[in-house]
Amino acid sequence: MTRIGRIRTEATAAARSFLRRRTAVFFTFFFPVILVVIFGALVRTQPTGGGLFAEPAGYYIPGYLAVVVLFTPLSRVGSEIARHRDGGRFEKLATTPLSRAEWLLAHTLVNVAIIGAASLLIFGLVLAVTDAEPVVSPALAVLPVFVAVGVALFCGVGALLGALTDSQDGVIAASNTVALPLLFLSETFVSPDLLPAWFRPAVAASPLTYFARGTRAIVYEPGPWVGDLAVLSLLAVAFLALGAYAVPRTD
Amino acid sequence: MNETAAASTSSVDGADGDPVLVGEDVRRSYGDVVALDGVDLRVEAGEVFGLIGPNGAGKTTLVRALTGTTDAEGDLRVFGAPPREVDPQRVGLLPQSFDPPERLTATELVAYYGGLYDEARGVDSVLRDVGMADDADAWYETLSGGQQRRTCVATAIVNDPDLLFLDEPTTGIDPAGRRSIHRLIERLADDGTTVFLTSHAMDEVERLADRVALLRDGAVVAVGPPDELIAEHGGAPRLDVTLDGPATDQITARVGDRLASDAAVESTRGGLRIRDVRPEAIGDAVDALDAAGVAFESLAWAEPSLEDVYLRLTGEEYSPREGEIAPASHGIDETDAASPDGGER
Repeated sequence: MTRIGRIRTEATAAARSFLRRRTAVFFTFFFPVILVVIFGALVRTQPTGGGLFAEPAGYYIPGYLAVVVLFTPLSRVGSEIARHRDGGRFEKLATTPLSRAEWLLAHTLVNVAIIGAASLLIFGLVLAVTDAEPVVSPALAVLPVFVAVGVALFCGVGALLGALTDSQDGVIAASNTVALPLLFLSETFVSPDLLPAWFRPAVAASPLTYFARGTRAIVYEPGPWVGDLAVLSLLAVAFLALGAYAVPRTD
Repeated sequence: MNETAAASTSSVDGADGDPVLVGEDVRRSYGDVVALDGVDLRVEAGEVFGLIGPNGAGKTTLVRALTGTTDAEGDLRVFGAPPREVDPQRVGLLPQSFDPPERLTATELVAYYGGLYDEARGVDSVLRDVGMADDADAWYETLSGGQQRRTCVATAIVNDPDLLFLDEPTTGIDPAGRRSIHRLIERLADDGTTVFLTSHAMDEVERLADRVALLRDGAVVAVGPPDELIAEHGGAPRLDVTLDGPATDQITARVGDRLASDAAVESTRGGLRIRDVRPEAIGDAVDALDAAGVAFESLAWAEPSLEDVYLRLTGEEYSPREGEIAPASHGIDETDAASPDGGER
């Protein structure tokens, strides 16, 4: 069996397992729906231009996408590692030709597909229930690449969290602890000018910032996005490598 | 997962008379807890090697050390190579605690694990081997405990391994299922597969294993063919007498005095145990009970077994897990036992 064959086998099993857990599928897609409905349709941008959502609706498209790009892979990959560890699956897989990198790559591909679909749903909902008007340009074709690379990056982080924590409960707590600050301090929902000046340099340390900047440069405020994609890709490779190394192979 | 799927088909691969598994002075500790304390073992090609021992003796740790899924000190060689450098195609593993993805069918699970190897057996034939052909399309989570375990066994043999590690393969399986797994192991052994089997079921190991190692406190305290271990450590045949009341010292002494042979009598929780009773001497023992005026409910005669070896060498009480069967004994109850003199029973 080739490397590609092993990855396909692992990804197929992972995808089937996920798609047959109906509640997991439902909430994976329902989560972004309620998010858009609450923040995009109910809270909305303040008519006076004040408040948290002071920017035009289109500004927040990267934020909505970031929610699923960030939260879903962190919790899914982290939980999957905890589940594998608890069930002795890594012990079993350690005696097969499947490597840790192949395992993580397979699960990353599954997450890219799931979150890609969720992102499409979000994008459609944002257009349907808010007055956002995304910029239509050839660069829009790069948006799925940003989503895929972002998902890969946070799959790597999720693998690290899954390996470092010792239970599924621990994974959820750790992923929330990591994800929540990242979500609001990465130029997604909170624009940098709302943050203290001394804190703004720290925003650049968040990988999600490059996702937000790049996607915003595509859908809202046309501008250069290649640099952001490059940084995001480098971080994705780094975190995937670290995550693959962290995936348990022993007790 | 395997990081060094090395093409390590060493010349030292068990095919030319060299051992398949060698462990010398294998040690593993978890903090202050010593799991393996200088284990030495050697398993030859085609052997069914049984590993028994109390809970916490280090059996699973030893399996993990031999499969490279835990770090251990000492010299470990599998097909002549360190465990993590062995061609995974040649090794199959059923871990003791193993819960595969629960919403895949038995067919999908076997296909999944088979799909990770360069070469794999047909899914249908593997499921037939473990007696799961009729439930092949049921999700794993809907299968009974025994069916689940049999499906797990299927995932361990799907790559047609030369060396198969089975860590308590029949736990939770009903007698019919156990029998099918036993037959499978026998067939695999007949075909030349080396099987490393750990189990709490003494009858299973006694029946299947060519050689047995008894692990206690992380060290091998005895190793050899079951017959030899039983002859050396099992003691004499015994007759267990179930009484309808407590076995007092007086009763024990009375029976002992009336036994013609030198058989020893001791009290047990349920009655008396008369040791060193050959089959032809059972009648004499019954006569002695009658002569001593001891009423009994049933008699059970048993040859020494691996269980006795286990008890003697571990100093522990053997208690089979649910679904496991204690070694057979030959029993008669009061209604079957003719009273030679119509005396009180």
